[in-house]
Amino acid sequence: MIKLDDRTAAIVWVVASVTLSFAPFFLSWILGNWYQGSKQKELVQREAAFGADPLTTLRKVPGVATDSGLLISNIIMSVSWWQGMIGSIHAIFGGTITTWDKTLSWGRQEVMQRLRENCRDSGYDSVINMRLETSEIASSKGKTRALEIVAYGTGIKY
Amino acid sequence: MPDTQQTQPQAQIVMSNTETIPGKVIAESLGVVTGSTVRAKHIGKDILAGLKNIVGGELKGYTELLQEARAQALQRMVADAAKRGANGVVNVRFATSSVAGGAAELFAYGTAVVLQ
Repeated sequence: MIKLDDRTAAIVWVVASVTLSFAPFFLSWILGNWYQGSKQKELVQREAAFGADPLTTLRKVPGVATDSGLLISNIIMSVSWWQGMIGSIHAIFGGTITTWDKTLSWGRQEVMQRLRENCRDSGYDSVINMRLETSEIASSKGKTRALEIVAYGTGIKY
Repeated sequence: MPDTQQTQPQAQIVMSNTETIPGKVIAESLGVVTGSTVRAKHIGKDILAGLKNIVGGELKGYTELLQEARAQALQRMVADAAKRGANGVVNVRFATSSVAGGAAELFAYGTAVVLQ
């Protein structure tokens, strides 16, 4: 055991406790960046590979439909611990909460891609009257940690 | 419960979120049909979701849970329509509201119609 004087011991103690208490957030920062980056890259590739966009918010499209059906896609999005912490710091000053901002636009992009794939897999040619809805999923602790994004529309086959 | 399963006899009911069923003509309107369900999260799923939050992004467990719940709400709406003798539901809308204690209500409604 190395004998430390009181001042050094105090510094070591402070540094160690700060590092340990922030360690989960740093871990979340590193892992979250890696995970979300890889998922977003995958989404961009899926979008690029899909080709022509079948989604439209129009109620009617020219042409006679032979078959139709309701298509629904959903996703629950949440921010990482790190993003949540950054978000609450941002919320003190107001303005754009960049972490939630990014998470929600990513979620919408993902859910629309799912609807496109849903449309293709169900054998429809296009989706008309597409709507997007967002709602809060309350946690049992009362803190909002997740949001659900739903995309739905009518799939039609020509 | 029987209405949690995707029963085949109701499969011929066509749904749409537009005013008409594309390519079909509406003969008669039978009024508003509704279906709802209230679901709470599993405590285990809640803990897993908390862990998933280390990296953020999608919470797959909840996505599936809400998907099932919405399917059930739709199923109940379709059952209501079938009871009225409809063969289509137009202008389907969804609403979600959170109920105390971490539960969510999923609600689906639309207009039951008879197609020619």
